[in-house]
This record gives sequence, structure tokens and C-alpha cells, in this order.
Amino acid sequence: MPTSSTDPHKPAVREHRLGAWLSWLGEAVIEQVIWLCGWSAILFVFAIFFFIFREGAPFLIHELDLREFFTTSNWEPTASNPRFGILGLLAGTLSVTALAMALAVPLGLGAAVFVSEFAGKRTKETLKIVIELLAAIPSIVWGFIAVMVLNPIIIALTGAPIGLSVLNAGIVLALMSVPVIVSVSEDSLRAVPDSYREAALALGASRWEIVYRVLFPAAKSGLLAAVLLGVGRAIGETMAVLMATGHANQIPGSLLDQVQTLTATIAAELGETVQGDEHYRVLFVIGIVLFVIVFIVNLTADLVVKGIRGKAE
Amino acid sequence: MTNASGVVYDVHVSVGGKDQPARDPAAPWYSDFREALAAISERYLDGQATSFRLRGRDQIDIVVGDETRVAARAGRTPRYQFFIDPLATDDATATGGASAPWPTLAAALAGLDQMHLRGELAPAAGERVRLTVREPFSTSPVDARKRRTEGAAKVVLLCMTLMLVVPLIAILTYLFVKAAPALTPSFILENPRNNMKAGGIWAPLVGTFYLVFFSLLAAAPVGILAGVYLNEYARDNWFTRIINLAVVNLAGVPSIVHALFGVGAFVVFADFGESVLAASLTLAVMTLPVIIASTKEALHSVPRSFREACWNMGASRWQTIRTIVLPNSISGILTGVILQVSRAAGETAPILFTGAAFAVTVPNEGWESYFPYGLYDSVMALSYHLHIMLTQVPPASQAEIAAGTAMPLEHLQYGTAVVLIGLVLAVNSFSIGLRLYLRMRKRW
Repeated sequence: MPTSSTDPHKPAVREHRLGAWLSWLGEAVIEQVIWLCGWSAILFVFAIFFFIFREGAPFLIHELDLREFFTTSNWEPTASNPRFGILGLLAGTLSVTALAMALAVPLGLGAAVFVSEFAGKRTKETLKIVIELLAAIPSIVWGFIAVMVLNPIIIALTGAPIGLSVLNAGIVLALMSVPVIVSVSEDSLRAVPDSYREAALALGASRWEIVYRVLFPAAKSGLLAAVLLGVGRAIGETMAVLMATGHANQIPGSLLDQVQTLTATIAAELGETVQGDEHYRVLFVIGIVLFVIVFIVNLTADLVVKGIRGKAE
Repeated sequence: MTNASGVVYDVHVSVGGKDQPARDPAAPWYSDFREALAAISERYLDGQATSFRLRGRDQIDIVVGDETRVAARAGRTPRYQFFIDPLATDDATATGGASAPWPTLAAALAGLDQMHLRGELAPAAGERVRLTVREPFSTSPVDARKRRTEGAAKVVLLCMTLMLVVPLIAILTYLFVKAAPALTPSFILENPRNNMKAGGIWAPLVGTFYLVFFSLLAAAPVGILAGVYLNEYARDNWFTRIINLAVVNLAGVPSIVHALFGVGAFVVFADFGESVLAASLTLAVMTLPVIIASTKEALHSVPRSFREACWNMGASRWQTIRTIVLPNSISGILTGVILQVSRAAGETAPILFTGAAFAVTVPNEGWESYFPYGLYDSVMALSYHLHIMLTQVPPASQAEIAAGTAMPLEHLQYGTAVVLIGLVLAVNSFSIGLRLYLRMRKRW
């Protein structure tokens, strides 16, 4: 029997056993920690919902008049008789997001197709880096650009008295959502197997025909997911729209009107509330509304992608 | 004008698959076959300006009609078909048929004339005589149209891409140019003075570093380990799918909702107050999902054969991860984490109510100016500083500028913006460079 190195009478196996047991223990601990961390995403999603709900619940449960909340646009939280109607805010969010998507989806998909199918290798790398840098610009800087750069341009081009409007915010949001749309679309275009392209080439298709007739239908789910992610990004954007929309609560009649979005309202007004009062809680309720909207958009994206993929298989 | 038998002739030219009359619409149809041939000769052989040059696959049709019957459409097979092939060499035996085409248009017209005189070629009303220029390797009309569409599509898509790239570069250049007078070393190293109307951005800059450091300290380990769990340990069941859904949803949560969460959880519930701690933890929750996703991807890129080799040696799962998988994917993980550094540095909304303050009294000199904030203090942050520069700081009056107690507001605004952009872009460029360098070094 092999003996230990220190005491010739003690068997070496016991030393090994201790070392082995310690390393087994260490490994079990680490794996528990990893397992706990794996739960972290779910934990935090629930935590976010829980804590926002906790702050907003008193208003939500006791005093919220659902019909008034969602169908009127009287947002007067600081009046002596406070009114909380977010229709104007919803209209603001919706109009800015719609314009941003109308600009970003064609540009984003076009750029993704160009980078993925038509560009040479060097051009492709350069363009991908540029679009990543576009994504890196912080939202407050976009707000800065909206106020200092786009504002005078819009005033000069359209003759409007104020250059902060749905148009301004739509342009800025489009530029902010495009990188998301481009990168996810490009990934899904790249995921289409090369055999599809080769088959189309064998049938004599030109590159545009390959894109239009083979790639778009094949990557349909990924492209749709890209668009929905872009929508989610646009809905959730705060600082840029705070600056760019002009922050006036109204239902916009034209592109040059000022609006106010849900996110900007929270950002602008939470600092002035006292913790625990009605205004404070209503802002948390708006947070709940935002969270639910974005959750639904993301869930739809996930289901649509799975659904289309399910039908295709 | 018709001749005795009532038959009239017209000439159609088919270019690119489209059929067009080659005769002036006001003029009457030709009354004689030879007149039609003469018209063709006049149009294409006498050097007159024509709107179409005959190319391969183009066709000249001599259409025969009378008062009661208009000629059949171009689609139907013509009664008589002749060919011109510029590559044909045998002039004498050319008959215009498929096997012996005429070499030139002149020869073709002469041949047709001969055949008509000999009586071999007598098309009746409703029939067509077709003369096709046969060049087997020229582009067919269908192909030509495809090439044109492809070229147009390429140009349009390039314009769309440029519409994104050019404004970005223009805006950045404009910002850097306008900020140039403000970017002095003292701007970066001094603290703001006089209610933000003068001085520099040192304290906000340090504050941003604090926030980024602590948020990454919290988010990186949890995110990386969560990515390890999802890629290495999780089985492919509905539960894992819910976790993935949760990661995607967490990534999509609006930043102001993160701020509300931070207020509800850290400022109020955990009673940290508005502090570095609360703001960092809020930023950590914000950056967590992207770290998880990029770690997952980096781990996924390590080939399965590496793991299998380890398992063959008898290594346990954690041993495999620790010794082979993690070291090989550290580049991708690092890239993802560094990208989140830039995002945490730039975000304003999550720190708005959880820790950022308009003004915090900080030491101006000495080594304490490098560590001005305690864990429970409010913090000045670069992104928030830009926000208040835009919204709350009044422009400096001429008297103040002259006295040196204030700087022109524009200088401060552009300077702050450019430092923030510069910081973010520098970190991102570093991450991109790291990614390219590591991709070059990859050995599989």
C-alpha cells in the first residue's frame, strides 16, 4: 500500500482523499453559485416589476380611474385638483415611434442588405464599425444633437417657429434604432444557408433577385424580430426624446407639433415629487404601463420568430 | 393605300423584348414588300439617327395585314423566319435560314428581296416575316433587365447606407469643431465652479468612473456566471427558454424604468438613499442582460471538440470550463464587458434619481480630488452634467465672461458633449480593436 510522504505509517490515500474532497466541495459551491446566477435574469425581471408595482400600487389599486387614465389627455398632476390622463402622452410616444420606424426600417433593412450582400469585404468591415459607433453614442448626446444641430436645421428648412417636434424626435430616434435593426437583420440574413443562394445563382438569378426572392422570405422571422426590437428601443428611449420633442402635452396634429412622451414625463417630473405622494405614485404607474408595453413587444417578437420558424418546419 | 390584292405591310422592331412600330404612325402602311424593305434599309443602313441600335436577339418584323385583318401579335411564331449572324462567314451560300444565316443586314435585305422576286416569299395577310439578329453570347433582354435592376438596387442600397453614415460623420465633425476652443487641459482637470457656469468637468468625470467601476464590479461576475450557466449547464427545456426570454426582456427594458426600479429597490427599500451605491447597482442591472448574452455567444463559439477532449480525460464540467472554455472565450467576454462600460458611462436616465446630483461639494485639490465621493454620497456624472448644461444652467452674460467668472455656455456645453462622446467612442474603439486583434489570433 503506498504510504504518505510525511509519515511512512500513514497511508497516502487519505491525503488524496482530503484534497479530492476539498476540490469536490469547491466545485459544488461554484456550481451552486453559477446556478444561482443563472436565475438572476428572471429574478431581476420580476424584481423590476415588483418594486415598480410596490411604489405605484397604492394609486393603482385605490384611486386609479382606468377610463380617465387611458382616454383623456388632461395631464395635470400639480393642479389643485389633479387630473391624470395619459392619452396625450400615449399619442406622443406612438407618433414619435411611428415616424422613427417609418424612417428606420427601410434605411436599416437597406443598409443591412447592402452590408451583407453587396459590399466588398473591406467596405463591409468599415460599415459595420461605423454602425457600431452609431450605436455607441449615448442618448443624452443625441438629445444634445437634437437641440443644437437639428433644431436650427429644421427651423431653416420648414420655417416652423420651434424646431423641436415630432419630426426632430423621429429623426433622432430613427438614427438611434437603426443600429439595432441593422445588426439583427444582418445576423439573420447571414444565417440563411449558402445553399439557398447557390441554388438561386444556379437558376440564373441576379444578386438583387436573390435578396428579394430568396433571402427576404427565408430570413423573414429574423427581420421581423429586428424591426420589433427597434420598436422596443424607440418606445423606451428617454433622454433624447425629452430634449427633442419640445415636451408639450398634446395630441399632435402635424409633424411639426410638440409632443410629450411617457418616458420623458417620468424623467421630467419625478425629481419634483415627494416620495410617497400621489404624483410620485402615478409616475410609477406610468412606469408599469411602459414596462408592460415593452414586455408585450418583446414577447410578440419572440413568439413571431418562433411561430414563423415553427410554420416553416 | 393598298395595292390590288389589298395587302399592306408594316415594319415592327422588337428591341429588348418590346415590340414597336418602326414607321411614323401618321404615315400609311407600306403598299409593297419592297417598300418595306426599303424603309428598313433607310432606317438602319443609311446612317440616319435611329433611336435603337440593333443588338443581339433584336428582331425586325415585317408585318402583313389588310383592311380586315390586322397582323398577328408578335408573340406567335412568325410564318417566315430568317437569321442574321455577324459571325457567319459564308456569304455565297447564305440563305437566311437557321443553318446558313446572312452575315449583315444589307445581305439579309438583298436576300429577302431576291426571294420575294422569285416568288418564294409571299406572306399573306396576318402573317409575319421575322428577321432575327442572332448573337448567341450577347445579353438577352431578360438578362439585360436583370443587370439593370441589380445595378439600380445596388445604388439605392448604397444611398440608404450613406444616409446613415454621412449624417453621423457630419454631426460628429461639427461637434468636435465647435468644441475645439473649450477643450483645454484645465477644462478636464478642474472642477466646475460658480454654479456650473465656469470651470471644468473633473468631478463629473471622476463620478462617471466611479459609477462605471462599481456597476461593472457588480454586473460582470453575475453576468459571466449566468452566461456560463446558460451555455454550459442549462438543459434545453422550457425553463431555459423562460430564462432566455427573461434576458431578452431585461435587455429591452426602457432606461427610465430601470431608474424607477432603482428608486423603488435601492433608494427606498434598501435605504441606500441617492448614492453611488444605488446608482451603480441600477446601472449594473441595466448592463447585466447584454453581458449575459455576449458571454453566451463567446462560450458558444468555443468548439465542442475542446470540451469533448476534456471529458475524455475525465475532467468534470467545472474543470473543463475553468481550464479550457473560459480562457478560450475570454476575448469575446471581455469585448462584451467593455462595450457595457461605454454604455454605463453614457446613460443618464438610470442615474437621474438614484444618485446623480446637480452639484456635490468635492475637494478641489490634493489626492482627495481623485477620490471625491464616498459610497453613500451623491455623485456628479458626465452624462447628467451634460443634461443640466442643456437645461438648467443659464447663459453667461458678457460682464461675467469679461470678469472671468463664467464661460460662454456654448463652450461648456459642446466641451462636455465632446468629452463624453470621446470617452464613449474611445472605449468602443478599444473594444472593437481588441475584437479584431483577437479574431486575428484565433487558432481554430
